[in-house]
Amino acid sequence: MQISTHELKSKIIESLKLQDITPEQIDDDAPLFGTGLGLDSIDALELVVLLEKEYGIVIKDIEEGRPAFRSVRTLADFIAAKRPQ
Amino acid sequence: MSARNPVITGLGIVSAAGFGVAEVWRAVAAGTSGLKPLTLFQSPRYGQNPTGEIQRDLLALGAPTRASRSDKLGFLAARDALADAKIDLVRSGDRAGIVLGTSVGGSYDSEIFLTTLIKRGKMRARATRFHECSSTVDLIAEHFGLYGPGMALATACSSSALAIATAAEMIMAGEADVMLTGGADSLSRMTWGGFHALLLVDAAGCRPFDVTRAGMSHGEGAAMLVLESEESALRRGARILARLSGWGTSCDAYHATAPHPQGAGATAAMQAALRRAKLEPSAIGYVNAHGTGTRDNDQAEAIALKTVFHNRVPPFSSTKRVFGHSLAASGAMEAIVCVEALRHQELPPNPGFTKCDPTIGLEPVTECHHAPLVHVMSNSFGFGGNNGVLIFSKAETTQHTRAPGKVQVAVGGLGVIGPGVVTIKEITAPLPAGRGPVFSCGTLADTAMLTPNQRRRLSRLQQMALITARQSHAPDATQRVSVSIGTGLGCLEDAGAFIENLIAKDEREPMPSRFPNSVHNSPAGQVAIDQAAQAMNSAPTVGEITFECALWQGMSQLAIDEADCSLVGATDEVDKYLLSIGQRWGVWDDQIKPGEGAVVASLAPAGKTAVPLARVTALKLGRYRTPFSAEAEADWIAAAVDLSQVDMFLSGAGGSQKLEPMYQAVAAALLKRAGKKVEHQTYKQLCGEYHSASGFGFSVAVNLAREQKRGVLLYTLSQRGAKALCFVQP
Repeated sequence: MQISTHELKSKIIESLKLQDITPEQIDDDAPLFGTGLGLDSIDALELVVLLEKEYGIVIKDIEEGRPAFRSVRTLADFIAAKRPQ
Repeated sequence: MSARNPVITGLGIVSAAGFGVAEVWRAVAAGTSGLKPLTLFQSPRYGQNPTGEIQRDLLALGAPTRASRSDKLGFLAARDALADAKIDLVRSGDRAGIVLGTSVGGSYDSEIFLTTLIKRGKMRARATRFHECSSTVDLIAEHFGLYGPGMALATACSSSALAIATAAEMIMAGEADVMLTGGADSLSRMTWGGFHALLLVDAAGCRPFDVTRAGMSHGEGAAMLVLESEESALRRGARILARLSGWGTSCDAYHATAPHPQGAGATAAMQAALRRAKLEPSAIGYVNAHGTGTRDNDQAEAIALKTVFHNRVPPFSSTKRVFGHSLAASGAMEAIVCVEALRHQELPPNPGFTKCDPTIGLEPVTECHHAPLVHVMSNSFGFGGNNGVLIFSKAETTQHTRAPGKVQVAVGGLGVIGPGVVTIKEITAPLPAGRGPVFSCGTLADTAMLTPNQRRRLSRLQQMALITARQSHAPDATQRVSVSIGTGLGCLEDAGAFIENLIAKDEREPMPSRFPNSVHNSPAGQVAIDQAAQAMNSAPTVGEITFECALWQGMSQLAIDEADCSLVGATDEVDKYLLSIGQRWGVWDDQIKPGEGAVVASLAPAGKTAVPLARVTALKLGRYRTPFSAEAEADWIAAAVDLSQVDMFLSGAGGSQKLEPMYQAVAAALLKRAGKKVEHQTYKQLCGEYHSASGFGFSVAVNLAREQKRGVLLYTLSQRGAKALCFVQP
């Protein structure tokens, strides 16, 4: 089941303690890492925790998550595909 | 050849691969994995992961009962190393010191306190008695009689390489003739949960440099070396096992946990070690790699090796699968591997490696075999991009280690965060009474200077260090800057939150961003990134003399000309456990109140500072004896400082009932000797009691020297026997 990208953005902002950023300011297709939000490898690990806590998806190897962490949209698609029903 | 060259005359080791050098070398040469499933504590999610756990009864082997697990491991290795060196410390104790790398400290035991509190609602504060990383140093120094300089350094996985380098520096500088040095770290839920939260653990056991490698394996243990000046070893007819001919340190100044992708810092540290040893890269016959087995470390290290050795990389291997990654102890364990490789003239293999990684393009030693070895290198890299490299040479070679010079040190800048604004008036006029129940720095006022990422990610302790470092020194990429910022207890808030969460949720939903903050060198590491400071990076943790140890390291970097500027400092914070455990033990009362704060000073050679605030003209570290003798202390001070230049004796009195009469007696003895009026002043009524409060005392001394042109002698005693003096003059 597809999830709302708006809701996902709110969760990312909360989990990564992003300051002065609203969900509206994050583009669905903009790269999450490398530019823009200034996220790094430790933020990727916080996203791994978020996936487990909120959606029950366990990632054991960061390489597994890497394609999903490209943008909010790829992450939402990943969750929809992997989420336990 | 210099009489002060450091040589190695004793070794001791306890590890998952065996106890004692002979047993360990057999395991190393055979490439036996020491990894097994974890039994030391419950790990609901990861208990089956192969681990270098020591599964022997430490008490039966002679370890003391009143000690943390790390202390016990350290004690056993120290005992064996000193026995191996056949040294008589009763006669040479004042000229013998100790520098250890310890990063876990008493965490394993403190976690028992937290688990009991969280799961059963019971407060068993006794388990936290040996929490501090310096506990191992104090225990060993006191038991064996090492009354020279003592230090614990907590720079995570590079701790003991840095400790060995610092001990060597002390011998070269003439601070001691003999140094016991190495490292000790036990397994702990904190580091176990932490590396798992970072997804850095290989469930199949570490496979360094292999194409399928998927992370590290935990380990624990202790390894100690007796380092001695060549002169001292020859004088007492000691057997020289090998020489420590070079050492180099550096900082990536890149990221809290990830190495620089091109291995820039690792390259710089290897080059610094070669420079110190005055050797060409081609002289190195073997490298014991850091080789943790994580994708990033091995890749970056391989690039660094190719850079340093111009694509002619000597035989190398990682022995991490033999021991597990024993964090602060690993550099010393691998130092022993290097010494034994030289003695046996054999190359140790790299268990876990089967297939070459094409992106690395290097193949480690796979079978133990003979090789003529004269000089070998050992690499250790840690969190905060902290790098330490050691070069060992055969006993029979001539050593050309570069000696330190003499340099007058000036304070060029000073940054202070304290519980209130301190003016010269306040300290010289009748002293103000304590303010409120806790000397808290409150909400930090200057966070506007931090970037959004520094504000959201860093702990308060790290932010205090960053702000005071910026107050003391503007980042300058043209300078070689070293950083030594110590802490007594580290980031209590983040470490506490991380481990509480781990225990309460049985390892589910960990806090990966809190773990890197929990290491004691996280303030120093963040300052390095902020200041682009790529020279030595260190975090001493030595109770009340933490700041003075940082000062020693910074001054030493100037003396060996590896830095143009040294940032030295100390920082500590208050948290709920510190308050409640102190309450339980009756530490806090009407006079003694918990405090916190940060101080960073920038140092440079006197001639190269535009507007020096003051000079540091003497600095000594040591240990006082029991029973305490004020006269002996006055002798020690008078040997280092011209008493006729002292106008004020500034002591750490007021922070503890035990130390109060000792400070008063030393002040009285000094006053008698000085033959002039010397005022005794204190500073803890202004900043409260915390481990690194003498940093605050130093800032007061610098201000007095500058504003009133007075010579101020800062004198500090620790609860557990360490002492320091620092003379600040206009």
